[in-house]
Amino acid sequence: MESLSSLMAMPWLDYSISGLVIGSIYALMAVGLALIFGVANLINFAHGAVFTVGAYIGWTCLVGIGLPLGVTIVVVAAVSGAAGALIEWLAIRPLNRQSRIAPLLATIGVALVLDQIIHIVFSPTPRALSANIPDWRLQIGNGTIGAIDITIALTAILSAAALYAFLFRTKLGMAVRATAQDDDAAKQMGVNINAVNMTVFGIAGALGGIAGLLVGLYYNSIDPNASFQMMLKGMVAIVIGGMANVPGAIGGGLILGLIESWGIGLFGASYRNLFAFVVLLVMLLFRPNGIFSRGKERPAEPMTGTFVTQTKAVTLPKPLIWVLIGIAVILPMANMPYITQVMTNAYLYGLAALALTLVSGTVGLVSIGHAALVAIGAYASALLTTKGLPVSLGIVIGGAAAALLGTALAYPAFRLRGHYVAIGTLALGEIVSLVILNWEGVTNGALGVFAIPPLEIFGFPLYGTKASYWFVLALMLLMAGLQVRLLKSHLGRTWKAIREDTVAAETYGVASNYYKGLAFGFAGFTAGIAGAVTAHQWSFINYDSFNLLFSVLILTMAILGGLGNVSGAILGAILVAALPEMFRTLAEYRMLFYGAALIILIRFRPQGLLGSG
Amino acid sequence: MDDFRERAALSRRAFGSLALWAMIAAAAPLAAQTSGEPVYIGVSGPVTGPHAQYGAQWKQGFDLALEKINADGGIDGRPLDYIFEDSQNDPRQTIAIAQKFIADQKIAVEVGDFSSTSSMAASPLYQRGRLVQFGFTNSHPDFTKTGDYMWSNNVPQSEEQPLVARHVVEDLGMKKIALLYLNSDWGKTSKDLFAEAATGLGAEIVAEEAYLGDEKDFRATLVRAREAAPDGFVLVSYYNDAALIVRQIRDLGIDLPIYAAGANSPEFVSLAGEAGNGVHTVMNFAPMSPRPVVQDFVAAFEAEYGTAPSHFSAMAYDTFNLLAAAMRQYGTGREDIKDGLGKISGLESVIFPEVAFDPGTRRISSPAVTELVVQDGGYLPYSGPGQ
Amino acid sequence: MSDAILTATGITRRFGGITAVDGVDLHVAEGEFLSVIGPNGAGKTTLFNLISGQDRMDGGKVTLEGRDITNLSPHKMAEIGVARTFQHGRVFGNLTVMDNVLIGCHVRLKAARSRVPVIGPVLELGKALIQPRAVREEEEAMREEARAIIATFGERLAPRIDNPTYSLSYANRRRVEIARALALHPRILILDEPTAGMNESETAEMQEIIAGLKASGRTILLIEHKLNMVMQLSDRVMAMDDGKVISHGTPTEVRNDPKVIEAYLGHSSIGGARPAARDSAEPQEIITVGPAQGRIGRTGGAEA
Repeated sequence: MESLSSLMAMPWLDYSISGLVIGSIYALMAVGLALIFGVANLINFAHGAVFTVGAYIGWTCLVGIGLPLGVTIVVVAAVSGAAGALIEWLAIRPLNRQSRIAPLLATIGVALVLDQIIHIVFSPTPRALSANIPDWRLQIGNGTIGAIDITIALTAILSAAALYAFLFRTKLGMAVRATAQDDDAAKQMGVNINAVNMTVFGIAGALGGIAGLLVGLYYNSIDPNASFQMMLKGMVAIVIGGMANVPGAIGGGLILGLIESWGIGLFGASYRNLFAFVVLLVMLLFRPNGIFSRGKERPAEPMTGTFVTQTKAVTLPKPLIWVLIGIAVILPMANMPYITQVMTNAYLYGLAALALTLVSGTVGLVSIGHAALVAIGAYASALLTTKGLPVSLGIVIGGAAAALLGTALAYPAFRLRGHYVAIGTLALGEIVSLVILNWEGVTNGALGVFAIPPLEIFGFPLYGTKASYWFVLALMLLMAGLQVRLLKSHLGRTWKAIREDTVAAETYGVASNYYKGLAFGFAGFTAGIAGAVTAHQWSFINYDSFNLLFSVLILTMAILGGLGNVSGAILGAILVAALPEMFRTLAEYRMLFYGAALIILIRFRPQGLLGSG
Repeated sequence: MDDFRERAALSRRAFGSLALWAMIAAAAPLAAQTSGEPVYIGVSGPVTGPHAQYGAQWKQGFDLALEKINADGGIDGRPLDYIFEDSQNDPRQTIAIAQKFIADQKIAVEVGDFSSTSSMAASPLYQRGRLVQFGFTNSHPDFTKTGDYMWSNNVPQSEEQPLVARHVVEDLGMKKIALLYLNSDWGKTSKDLFAEAATGLGAEIVAEEAYLGDEKDFRATLVRAREAAPDGFVLVSYYNDAALIVRQIRDLGIDLPIYAAGANSPEFVSLAGEAGNGVHTVMNFAPMSPRPVVQDFVAAFEAEYGTAPSHFSAMAYDTFNLLAAAMRQYGTGREDIKDGLGKISGLESVIFPEVAFDPGTRRISSPAVTELVVQDGGYLPYSGPGQ
Repeated sequence: MSDAILTATGITRRFGGITAVDGVDLHVAEGEFLSVIGPNGAGKTTLFNLISGQDRMDGGKVTLEGRDITNLSPHKMAEIGVARTFQHGRVFGNLTVMDNVLIGCHVRLKAARSRVPVIGPVLELGKALIQPRAVREEEEAMREEARAIIATFGERLAPRIDNPTYSLSYANRRRVEIARALALHPRILILDEPTAGMNESETAEMQEIIAGLKASGRTILLIEHKLNMVMQLSDRVMAMDDGKVISHGTPTEVRNDPKVIEAYLGHSSIGGARPAARDSAEPQEIITVGPAQGRIGRTGGAEA
């Protein structure tokens, strides 16, 4: 599209400098993540929240109290180091005997809680953060870099070097490495695992906090909503550099910065995150050990990489189920349209949670990109019906589109395990959302799809509050019934066998990718019709209607009810969607509630309210 | 739970009337009394979540408007009040709130929600429920198209952007424009309208760069834009993005004139710091306007909250005054308000010198803009080239 | 050799610089019982992993009844009748005993599964939902058979048929594994230390079961450390050390071969139960702590 000569004429030097500037910020994030991954074998989703804590502690010291920068850095390191250690103590240590995915979910919970506390204490408005930093700038190419750019890069490199020295030259560092390799053996050798882990989380936290302060100074702006994106970029950087490779994290961060910057040069800024997540997926699939590693093998994952604990599920007695269904059916008769609407929403969440609990619970592929399936269904039906297709047909096609497209997109991720699946699906979810935003010709881009026809079945309108309630209830019960039937068939045990031990299942003739595909197909259909019905109910959707937060909420519902448990998914959806509505007055603490509930649940009832199915 | 909500509303009213009494005692001994069942406006907006700051700014505007309206006798002697439901700017919650408001016969008119995603999801419900949805922040061009119960006094970009283009091209002399815009419904619509108007005036858009909402790093984008050899930058951005971009433009050593949509917010000035100096912008709401309506509002706002009013507070204030005027003139029934809004004319507001709706589009026509330039932590009116 | 059902020639597998299996030849005749012995790290489990498809060989060829099955994927191996148990026991913990055994029947499901291309997946889902008569009858037949297999383990498993296997004792889980393997109707049964971690009476019970399998004419490949058992059950024995076959012949011949004695003495004592020990040539044990890469943590792990 561009001729070679104009490609050559692009200011590659300037793009590269820009890439290195932002890349060193990613690197700073990545060093802490890599350290934690190395020791705890865990992606710390709360690292972004620690970054925010650092930024706001920095603001309090510099602007609020007026301390000098040097003192501020010490305070920030101390407080965010303590926050890091607290994460270890609160969310990691008690889960020592749980499956690997449990601490990952716990860190998501901690991230929600910390972010929300910052929101409440400091308000969500971005703040200016400035300090007396020497105002000299260095001319490179057609641009300049300043003192703070160099400080960030140096901090990243020096901290990586210091960590390297610590790990390979000190006694505690040796203990850390020993723990990383085999914590049982390390324990037998007299290493205090808990102390080691806490030290590592503390160091990583201090680094994350300093990163938050420096980046805040760099942009002269701190914002409680920025941390998650930053953490995601750090995650991509460590995947590039090799998950547990501390110096590699620096390389990964710089490479990510360069790729983004060159990509922007070629295609434009709206594609930036698309590059990042595509790079992430490609790396996970083809170089899971990072580009600095010679080996091709994937790092070993625990054999039972699932969240499903060994407990018996609660089986609800049949009469109780019928009574509950009866109550649900007559609920709209109470003539409280608000309650009816809230429950309709809950059932739509329930459909999505049913789909997720099948994929993540029954088959064991923990997905943090579930919103993508819902979005595909919503867009397919919305786009077709606005062009004249009947709504009932649109909903079915929406389901089918999500089933086919979702399965095709997720197929490459089927060979990933444990939390690699979680990272991969998260990337997929973001990619789908960004493609919807950027593919203007088809999706109408940022303007979204407007004037989507209301719900109707074969010309019979269903857009009244009660009618749509009954319709969605019937749909949810139908899909739940079908799912129960599937679970009772040979597919149920086959899926669970894949979850329990994929290698053993394959050895007994189970083509695991094929059966994962079947599960994704069925779940995609359920999620797709949930999306389609939502689109017709709202009449307007855009790329942000089904976002990452939505994915996390659905996962919370499935975990709350008990992963893999059909009635559990519905119960979880009703609780998560409806209870906060009931306690609207506490709304300010709503996300705090989610986060805390997630942590407490994983800690004390990891099998969910109704148990894993 | 409804009781709780009502109690909260009552206590707010009690507090409001306390303030009101203080004001009456100080300034307006002849103020009219209000009594009886209040007339309620239902507000759906973000009190929590990532957009909570906007809900907070709305509240300041609403409360100030209520003090004035109720001091003036309310709506035919009945006090005006509002019920604010937190939606977190989430469409799943706005539709539930819509059901609540539609069913609650106390509610005369609905205001909100914040973004088009969340507002427009609830529009079909309001339309079918025959309750006016007054979206005062909804710039999406399709917002009022759902039906005749959707109204907005948000400045239509189709009217504002030609004014901006004239200022940028004719006053600031940009002929080869680099355009950076937020990839959202507002950014995209404004960008298209601006580009059309600027091209019509003989300027050329040499670079057009969309960026994502959570973007922080613009260096690569700016390198790309600079390659097109522009003679000025136009930013269709909110204040925080605008501040980041302006700083990074200057960091790259680019010394071209900048027009930034979001620079009209006081927060821009603190976030951009030194780099903000000389950045041009326009405001619908101009705090330095000599019109008495504006000066009274600014003075009252500063007295009450100790800060300068933001654009959102001004719009919120305007909205309640506008609805109150419609109710006083045409009645407080839901249909009365819907019909009344179409008939209102000649009303002076903080933002518009004269409010009148186009009954076809249910939007306000002929907005005015004030051209400003950022200087030393504040604003100066634009006073010709060479500034 | 001509009557061999399974033939492996020149099997080689390298991990980094280590050659774990080095040009091993092996053959088993129909109904024959072949045992492989050797000290820890001799490469026995790696050899079995290669034959049953869990790992890919770097060189060599495997045929089953004349058909080339070199480096087939594990589920294809199962389809053509290779069944194996695992050294440390790998039952599906959250599945019941019955369901574990039914997974063994998976490859024999005809009505429930669908091999039609493209619409096959939809057909399989559809049939699972509708449960047509053929599917139901097939399922019932499989359950009947599974119950019969479980019954051969007597009072150990039969009363626990609907219990999840995580609630079973270690010995019982190993029994479930063998029951699951039998449900596959294997042409050849590969048992990797079936009595590891069992006490004497449990071992005796297991030996009885395996003897029964042999008596029923099954073709069996066994890795075992308990030499008494090997001597009593085997038709032939193969001894390995350092990835190579060092001795081969009747049980008595191999036992008396000085090379075998030396191999065991060079490493450790002969036999003995080693419940938690691992073959050190197994890939998950290869840990790189490369200062050159600055990496901390684990790598490798073809078995994981």
